[in-house]
Amino acid sequence: MRLFRNMFANSKLRKMAGVQSIAHSTPGGITPHLHKSRSLRSKIMAIPIPPHLLIPLQQQQGTASAACVKAGDRVLKYQKIADATDSTSLDIYAPSSGVVSMIQNHTTINPAEKEQLCIFIDTDGKDEELAEIDAIEWQTLTREELLPVIRNAGICGMGGAGFPLPKKMETSSNREIHTLIVNAAECEPFITADQALIRERSEAVIQGAEILQYAINAKHCVIAIERSKGDAIAALSKSISHSSVEIVILDDKYPAGGERQVIQAVSGKELQANKLPADAGIHLQNVGSVYAVYRAVAESKPCISRITTLTGEALQTPKNFEALIGTPVSFLFDLCGIDKKNHAKTVVGGSLMGIELMDTSAPVMQSSNCLIAGSLAEFPDTIPEQPCIRCGFCAEACPAGLLPQQLLSYSRSEDAQQLEDHGLFDCIECGACSYVCPSKIPLVQYYRNSKEQLALSQEVFDTSKGWQARFQDHQYRIKKLKDEAEPRTAIKPANIPSAEEKPQGTFSKDQAILDVAAAVSRVKARRKNVIASSESPAKPIQADGEAET
Amino acid sequence: MINSSPFQHREQSIGDIMSLVIMACIPGICMSTWFFGYGLIINIVLAACCALAFEAAALLLRSRSLMQLKDNSALLTAVLFAIAIPPGSPWWLVVTGIFVAIVLVKHLYGGLGQNPFNPAMTAYVFLLLAFPLDMTSWHVPVPLEGAVGSTVLSNSLPNLSGFDNAIASSSMSSLGWQSLKLSLLATLPFLSAFYENPETAVELIDGMAMATPLIEYKMAGKSALLASWDSGLNIFSRQSETAWEMANISYLVAGLYLLYKGIISWHIPLSIVVTVLIISSLFYAPGSSSVFGTPYLHLFGSATMIGAFFIATDPVSAATSKSGKIIYGILIGCAIYSIRVWGSYLDSIALAVLFGNFFAPLLDHYCRPRIYGHKKHTSDGLGFRKKTLPLLGKLRVEKSKAEEIES
Repeated sequence: MRLFRNMFANSKLRKMAGVQSIAHSTPGGITPHLHKSRSLRSKIMAIPIPPHLLIPLQQQQGTASAACVKAGDRVLKYQKIADATDSTSLDIYAPSSGVVSMIQNHTTINPAEKEQLCIFIDTDGKDEELAEIDAIEWQTLTREELLPVIRNAGICGMGGAGFPLPKKMETSSNREIHTLIVNAAECEPFITADQALIRERSEAVIQGAEILQYAINAKHCVIAIERSKGDAIAALSKSISHSSVEIVILDDKYPAGGERQVIQAVSGKELQANKLPADAGIHLQNVGSVYAVYRAVAESKPCISRITTLTGEALQTPKNFEALIGTPVSFLFDLCGIDKKNHAKTVVGGSLMGIELMDTSAPVMQSSNCLIAGSLAEFPDTIPEQPCIRCGFCAEACPAGLLPQQLLSYSRSEDAQQLEDHGLFDCIECGACSYVCPSKIPLVQYYRNSKEQLALSQEVFDTSKGWQARFQDHQYRIKKLKDEAEPRTAIKPANIPSAEEKPQGTFSKDQAILDVAAAVSRVKARRKNVIASSESPAKPIQADGEAET
Repeated sequence: MINSSPFQHREQSIGDIMSLVIMACIPGICMSTWFFGYGLIINIVLAACCALAFEAAALLLRSRSLMQLKDNSALLTAVLFAIAIPPGSPWWLVVTGIFVAIVLVKHLYGGLGQNPFNPAMTAYVFLLLAFPLDMTSWHVPVPLEGAVGSTVLSNSLPNLSGFDNAIASSSMSSLGWQSLKLSLLATLPFLSAFYENPETAVELIDGMAMATPLIEYKMAGKSALLASWDSGLNIFSRQSETAWEMANISYLVAGLYLLYKGIISWHIPLSIVVTVLIISSLFYAPGSSSVFGTPYLHLFGSATMIGAFFIATDPVSAATSKSGKIIYGILIGCAIYSIRVWGSYLDSIALAVLFGNFFAPLLDHYCRPRIYGHKKHTSDGLGFRKKTLPLLGKLRVEKSKAEEIES
């Protein structure tokens, strides 16, 4: 039935635009309730400038940037306020004009609820821009000229994981890239930022894709999008009529938008676990980042904003915002009319991979694609977990082909070897297993804990390795000494009286001479012995020296 | 543990799954009741009450929350057990069986999800070994006057002995009050004190039938259902030969429904059915005096369908990966046929499922799916992906070094 339905849908889509192709299937996956329509009712809103902006110095995976402004400085919109320190950090630009009030720690959006250094800007509302720069005709630039423009725009992956774009470009430029895949598969529930972006700004997205394709020298460029996003596909089909960009229609399932899942869906090939997409000649980029590239190149504007979905039952008017980086989450919630009584939980990202935010004064970052003010009905309190009945629903759902039910038991028994054998480190933490689990077991939490534990024990092992080596050397020396004790007694001269025969407490000259002679002969004997056993001469000599001094 | 993603869950709980499976048993139960009378219903009610009581007691003793009763797993065990044992079995047989299933097989091993063997089937086998006579006699209440007035006798299969005719007629019992009373008396004999003339009640319970037509009609080449059809009978006319086929068809349909709902996967049932089909076809010699029975009879003449769709698919004690499930099903299929044809037990589902249970941990170890992005799975558990976690490999090397030094 489903096959027929899909075939019907596909033929309809094919009619809509000539150059679409249907994706290959990927293993596993679930079809959760998506909660998307609410935030798609209105258009993307440009947000008013908040009174305070707090811009985290690290919004991406990698290292923090170094602030190049200080408290009291007046900054203009698009002015650089922090410098990249290495290839995994980013330049940061002021999202609006104002005065830097302080640079200090503040809660940001991250799984550990860690505080982070942020630049606080008191905005003046004038939104004064840095001297207007003319848009560049990017087609006239060479590849070498284009790359730094993209690199300096301070863009990180906007799909949620937040991988720095410059690093990704660097990896790709070192390898032969044949396909650029623009990932518009926004498979997680609640998030609609990418769909809204494509729906309204498909021209810019396509141009961004072309720029990126040119920059990394890819032969093909495809946009991967799910079947259910009819309005976005329609907009894209209209815009691609005069470009070589293709559309690939993915199945509606979660996680269709996972990196490896998209690559398999588009290319039909499974990416090896130890390989990067670039190794397979593929560069994958989220559609939001592609749009940011367009802004950076075609409009010469660095990344200072992103499209963020505000949704959840506690909000009266859920919608997509073009939010400045550094806008406090609570400010956005207030704009949407938050019903505080109904508000039970704040989740950043989708409901399946998002993180819970305790302090809503935290700022929006480049990777914050969705802010959910959820009611208790949407995010009920955690149900006590029931025993696993090994129903296998999780294994059906797992996109990585793992056996979550087996991993669970090994995670509980902390069996490192079995966890490793069952592919714990291939788990992408998509949460599909936890979603389907009828026993409501927080499987992903178990796996995260196990991964942390294993990483920790690995670290402990690495540091203890040096000590272990020293200890073993020590034992080795002791053993060698013991071995030499035997020949020493054997060669002992017969005329030397033993310790028992010595007169106690008195000193005689003869005795002293005899003792010295004995010592000399002992040393001689040992030297002889050492030379005789010339297999490992270095260590015993050293060992002897230590023993006698 | 901190609360982390995912925050959204599917609403289906264990209780929902279990109750769906219980629901799926209902058509088969109705069919059996139609043909064999109230014995099965009484079994189920008694078993369910006992199961809940034992489960509650075990949970209390293990100081667990009684909320776990809501997972319906004890109820499902009770229903499957009650279907497996002969209808109208005495009460003590049911109580003992449920005690074994719930307390010994399930809770002594650590409760739901921990039992290595299927509770209902282990209890069945326990009773089969402890009380062989009671477990192989089908107490069908036979109102004597009904047997005399039977008109269906002439329509029975030609090779039925006189004894079998009596059985055939015995299942003609109506579903009236009288029949319910008799069935109750069969299960709870001490109730006879409340009746006016207890002797009649005792007299009435002497109809005995063998477990399944598979045994009775080993020689029959033809489906009893088709035979009764040919002889102009309605397939719903209460005739015991057709009963098993009808029940099996009900369980098959219900099993397909469970498949459709995604409660069970196709791997175990399909591999069992196909294995039984293939082996019985291989050994079936039409026209000869072989006692192996037709493939059709093997599939529909006994408890194969409920075994394949409802019992062997118990996820707790079955193999868990797809390839493991297929091998598990094949093992059970082979065991079903072997025990039936060459074994000395009447029906083989319970023993075959237990046989399969023994292999489940082994299959779990060796039949793992290929992990996404990896070429092949080396299942020895040693050479596999040492790069990401070299810890254990290194430790092993260090250990061997240390041993070398010691020696």
